[in-house]
Amino acid sequence: MTTLGENRRVPQVQIRVLRDDYCEFVLSDTDPSVANALRRIMLVEVPTIAIDLVEIEENTTVLNDEFIAHRLGLIPLVSNAVYNMKGVFEDAGEEDFMDVEMSLNVKCTSEDTMDVTSNDLTLDVKHPEVHPVGYKQGDFDALKRPILLVKMRKNQELRLRAVARKGIGKDHAKWIPVATVSFQYMPEISINRALMDTLTEQEKEDWVDATPSKGVFRYNNITKQVEVDNAELYQYDGEALAKSEELGKPGLVTIKERQDIFIFRVESTGVLKAEDVVLTALEVLMRKLRNLQEALPQQDVGAT
Amino acid sequence: MYSSAAEDDLLDDAEITQEDAWAVISAFFEAKGLVRQQLDSFNEFINSNMQEIVDEYGTLLVKPESQHNPGMAEVEEKEYKVEFGQIYLSKPTMTEADGETVVLFPKEARLRNLTYAAPLYIDIKKVVITRVPNGEAEVEEENYPKIFIGEVPIMLRSSYCSLHERTNKQLTELGECPYDQGGYFVVNGSEKVLIAQERMANNQVYVFRKSQPSKYAFQCECRSVVENSTRNTSSMSIKMLARSGGKGGQAIRATLPYIKSDVPILIIFRALGLTADKDILQHVVYDFNDTEMMEALRPSIEEAFPIQNQEVALDYIGKRGSVPGVTKERRIQYAREILQRELLPHVAVGEFCETKKAYFFGYMVHRLLLVALGRRDQDDRDHYCNKRLDLGGPLLANLFRQLFRKLTKDVRSHVQKAVDRGKEINLMAAVNKDTITRGLRYSIATGNWGMQGTAGMRAGVSQVLNRLTYASTLSHLRRISSPIGREGKLAKPRQLHNSQWGVICPAETPEGQACGLVKNLALMSYVSVGCPSAPIGEFLEEWTTENLEEINPGVILNTTKVFVNGVWVGIHRNPTMLVQTLRQMRRQVDISTEVGIVHDIRLQELRLYTDYGRCCRPLFIVDNERKRLTITKDDIRQLQDREVTHFGWNELVHKGCIEYIDTEEEETTMIAMEIKDLENARMPGRVAYSETYTHCEIHPSMILGVCASIIPFPDHNQSPRNTYQSAMGKQAMGMYVTNYQTRMDTQAYVLYYPQKPLVTTRAMEHLHFRELPAGQNTIVAIACYSGYNQEDSLMMNQSSIDRGFFRSMFFRTYRAEEKKQGSLVQEVIEVPDRSTTVAMRHGTYDKLDDDGIAPPGTRVSGEDVIIGKTSPLADEQPGVAQRFSKKDVSTSLRNSESGMIDQVMVTTNAEGQRFVKIRVRSIRIPQVGDKFASRHGQKGTIGMTYTQEDMPWTAEGIVPDLIINPHAIPSRMTIGHLVEALMSKVASCVGKEGDATPFAEVTVDNISAALHNCGYQSRGWETMYNGHTGRRLQAQIFLNPTYYQRLKHMVDDKIHSRGRGPVQILTRQPVEGRARDGGLRFGEMERDCIISHGSAAFLKERLFDQSDAYRVHVCERCGLFAVANLKKNQFHCPACKNTTGIVQVHMPYACKLLFQELMAMAIAPRMQF
Repeated sequence: MTTLGENRRVPQVQIRVLRDDYCEFVLSDTDPSVANALRRIMLVEVPTIAIDLVEIEENTTVLNDEFIAHRLGLIPLVSNAVYNMKGVFEDAGEEDFMDVEMSLNVKCTSEDTMDVTSNDLTLDVKHPEVHPVGYKQGDFDALKRPILLVKMRKNQELRLRAVARKGIGKDHAKWIPVATVSFQYMPEISINRALMDTLTEQEKEDWVDATPSKGVFRYNNITKQVEVDNAELYQYDGEALAKSEELGKPGLVTIKERQDIFIFRVESTGVLKAEDVVLTALEVLMRKLRNLQEALPQQDVGAT
Repeated sequence: MYSSAAEDDLLDDAEITQEDAWAVISAFFEAKGLVRQQLDSFNEFINSNMQEIVDEYGTLLVKPESQHNPGMAEVEEKEYKVEFGQIYLSKPTMTEADGETVVLFPKEARLRNLTYAAPLYIDIKKVVITRVPNGEAEVEEENYPKIFIGEVPIMLRSSYCSLHERTNKQLTELGECPYDQGGYFVVNGSEKVLIAQERMANNQVYVFRKSQPSKYAFQCECRSVVENSTRNTSSMSIKMLARSGGKGGQAIRATLPYIKSDVPILIIFRALGLTADKDILQHVVYDFNDTEMMEALRPSIEEAFPIQNQEVALDYIGKRGSVPGVTKERRIQYAREILQRELLPHVAVGEFCETKKAYFFGYMVHRLLLVALGRRDQDDRDHYCNKRLDLGGPLLANLFRQLFRKLTKDVRSHVQKAVDRGKEINLMAAVNKDTITRGLRYSIATGNWGMQGTAGMRAGVSQVLNRLTYASTLSHLRRISSPIGREGKLAKPRQLHNSQWGVICPAETPEGQACGLVKNLALMSYVSVGCPSAPIGEFLEEWTTENLEEINPGVILNTTKVFVNGVWVGIHRNPTMLVQTLRQMRRQVDISTEVGIVHDIRLQELRLYTDYGRCCRPLFIVDNERKRLTITKDDIRQLQDREVTHFGWNELVHKGCIEYIDTEEEETTMIAMEIKDLENARMPGRVAYSETYTHCEIHPSMILGVCASIIPFPDHNQSPRNTYQSAMGKQAMGMYVTNYQTRMDTQAYVLYYPQKPLVTTRAMEHLHFRELPAGQNTIVAIACYSGYNQEDSLMMNQSSIDRGFFRSMFFRTYRAEEKKQGSLVQEVIEVPDRSTTVAMRHGTYDKLDDDGIAPPGTRVSGEDVIIGKTSPLADEQPGVAQRFSKKDVSTSLRNSESGMIDQVMVTTNAEGQRFVKIRVRSIRIPQVGDKFASRHGQKGTIGMTYTQEDMPWTAEGIVPDLIINPHAIPSRMTIGHLVEALMSKVASCVGKEGDATPFAEVTVDNISAALHNCGYQSRGWETMYNGHTGRRLQAQIFLNPTYYQRLKHMVDDKIHSRGRGPVQILTRQPVEGRARDGGLRFGEMERDCIISHGSAAFLKERLFDQSDAYRVHVCERCGLFAVANLKKNQFHCPACKNTTGIVQVHMPYACKLLFQELMAMAIAPRMQF
């Protein structure tokens, strides 16, 4: 094992927004491959907990057993306990816990339709920390409103036992911890002032309006000049360039795509904190690299 | 757009806008629903046709066969009369096996495989007339009120249905879907639709040019039928010879019914009582200055020169009749009767109708000459005004007529027998209650229209209602079929005809054999149910129509001929005024709204129609003086709050804002396409297409049918694509009815999460597509990506699938009943016992409960037995104890399916036998090979599924659900697909539904501008990043939401392979088909391939070793099969008594079979070595 090269890069992370359900950071000094690996891992390789096995004892609702089982699976469960859990395919000792058992027992007795929601789930007494997102936190807050499972009319009943397990998004989308993750390449925009000045005011405004994403360029009413407002909002749609051609002034603006700066946006489903998703993803990435590293030397010996 | 109209809006009589037309359309659908034609025609059948038929055939007169009683004086003479009177129909009922009669509702009929039918009662009167010689006739009457004569299946939601005028809540409580439109029957538990049958209109005069070489150059036909009668059509034709045969020119001759050879027309005129040439010519030419036409008749006049009076003419015709060698008097009488009864019976039947017939006959010759002289084109056979639709009502009426006649015939023979034997007449026993019940049920259940065993049966008239999707059900109820041979390669009747505008959907027709022969009604078309022509006749008389008998033929030239339903009733001297009055009366509903008034100025004819089966459509009436619609803004306002004002469609019609125009009358109108066109016509200086509009289209998008109305922007698509989508929309999964859980359909598909489309058409509102959708809004990228979407395949997001994207349920119902054979032998539903039951199935019996039925919630698969049933075996040898006493007749699951038992129903059927239905459910998750389609005839199967991280993504984090290949677009030109996608994106950004109604004023530029405002690239492109590498994709991708449908074709239902397996008994070759675990055909083309490849050994293996290899023994001497006993090593040839020289031959079993079959036909196939 030799030392890394002189030109070794040290990737930087600069966090911009950090909330429980949202994280925005800039990853710089690295390759698209690394950025994409991180994105892919956040999506489908960060383990979470979701209901995986349902035993139905009684179901007289309008939805059939499979339907309800599927809906239960998709309920996001707060998965901070996932780090202590073992998955079905991991080797587990006696003391490791794999299953979180929940149950549901509802019967509609009123004349009105009744909503069965994630709030009706009875949690595992041993693991009360594993519960649906927004569990019993109020019906009126749109963000914390419980998740509807099925509607019932009088005398319908639903009784079941559900087992939640650890898993990854690659196996089933219910284990994906995020609503979405995406990154984009940092754009670099420079306006050719001299050429821009040859445009009339109307043309300048039209040119600014040509770009569909609002807020990339701005026409300053006071200075009568076009300015770059927020380059990051630029979507590489090429409309500004096309408009320049149309106006007969190609080169009004030059747009470059930085290949080493990435703006990441992570939207968590609430299963894990956005921050944890990123950290776990990095951990998983590291583990993968370690595995690779451990596997490599034997081959190296043979090769050299 | 409406700002300028805002001020006008305040005025009550302001012009309405195109938008306001939708209020009218809503009112139309609210009043009529979508299956009005079916209901109207059935109601007409029940309310009047049935009674008419009974009245027509309802009197029987029976006289005893006069007995010769020697020595006894002439005693009294008795006459028996049976009269069928008033009929009564009750609500649908059902009689249980124990004799209890209960009211039947459709839900129960469907579930218990019963027939939804109502009992029909009739008043019967028996009259006995006793005549004593030289005495008064003594009349004795006896009434039998309300005798049950049979059951009539009732159309759902018709006025005799138990569901008639129920509220949605009541319907739901009765287990019905409130969106179901009715219009079908329930016979033996299955829903049957009567398909409208298209036919040529009767009593019309058609002139055709015959294609040469033919004996004749022109032919004028008239298929004549008396209104409301069963008599067969009596065709007659007048023909003009092609070449001048020898002397004279092109003579004209006529073919008369029952007359073997053609008769010169002049002879017919003479036979009808017109002797002088001048009289005859006046009936044909009308204008004696028309020398050309006179000249054209010269050969005919010359031809008939030898026959100059009526007697001779009649004799001439009589001689060519079917009874030869009778006296002259009889011949003349025969000819006279033919002319009275069989010639043009629609004009009149009976005596003293010769004048009218002569006029009509002359008119036909006149029409023929017009074409022959090139003054008029030949008639268009495919013009829709020459077509009539026979809907459920007329079809049932014909059937009922036949059956009722059979019933009366049976009653008559019963009475005759009783009378002859001098027994008491028991009318109750004489009426066979099964004739009508069975007859109607048989035809509706099998689709073979007509009495069993009679000639002229039509197959496929009644079909099982398609319940795949709500739209497919609706479309099925509005289908029309033309009974022209499918194989006929004549293209004309299949082509879309101009006259079909507005009444028949231009897009919806199947592909292939039935293309253009099976059609569908447009949304607003109305099929006339028929109204009596008598009021019209009275009216015409009142308004100085001169009767043909009273006029001098010389005046015809300057007057207008008046026809009612093809009968020339008279002439009128001021047609314009007459037409105006008639129209006015129709608009005030003084005469029925469905009367067709056609004023043909060129032909100087006024044709009035009151018959049933004409296609009409409603149009706005234009006041031609003011050049504006008669409907006003105020009417629209009243329509809009219909609930308060009760001002609906019918009120609009009564007010004279709208009238129904049939396809023939349409030719005499000038219709504005849009309301705007009228405005242009009014404004001086503006360019208007016409200034003489008489009507205005309600909305041009109403030309489409049910399935085509679901397509967004069909006006942007290549036309065949709309046809494809119209066919595919019927295979989409969705929610076919809201009560699917309480129904036991043999097959049903239901989508997990159906969504209403982001982009809709206005017509969808009335098709309830939002309430019962058949698809999902899908994020679609048009890209190649990895290439797993080539050749109409598509890539789907596996993560979306995991989240329930396009998941669906499939239900299949199995049924079993304890059949009774004889009085003792009875099947039993139970768990078969292996020790006493023979012929048990391979599958497991473990899934059965104690009652012999698999309970709900059981997982079943393969060939598992789900209903155990045994049938007792007859004792073969009495006294000997048999090992087995029962035979297994259980029902097992289809071998390729699996699922869960969803529901079990145990009940009794009509015979009171135990009856079980089991519904099995299976969940279908999209997988590679399943079929999907957009609403633009763009179908494809999944070629690959990718999880979310492998899918391309945008900077916003949006990932497509589906990736289709860009090559699917250019050659197919489905621009509508792209426009829909673009509008969907705007709709989802703005949070409103997009309007994709065809022929509206939305443009792509409008939509693009709206999208730009939402912050997206105006043409719907997005910058995307490769999910595998993270790099930006070079090209921008068209990424937009599009409404997709899941089609019922799924790999799991098709996947099939076989090693060894079952073979046919006859040929010992593998059986065919997946359901029977059959082989895959190695056909002739495959064979050719292998031959040309030269691999003979492989060929032999496929076609012989793996198929029907067999070994036979053949006698070398005679070459025929020999008998071999391999155990005893004995061989001999029965033909030549030879025991040596016998060889073993391998051959296909089919070959051995052929040889034996040949031998059975006394052909000796000898094999030589």
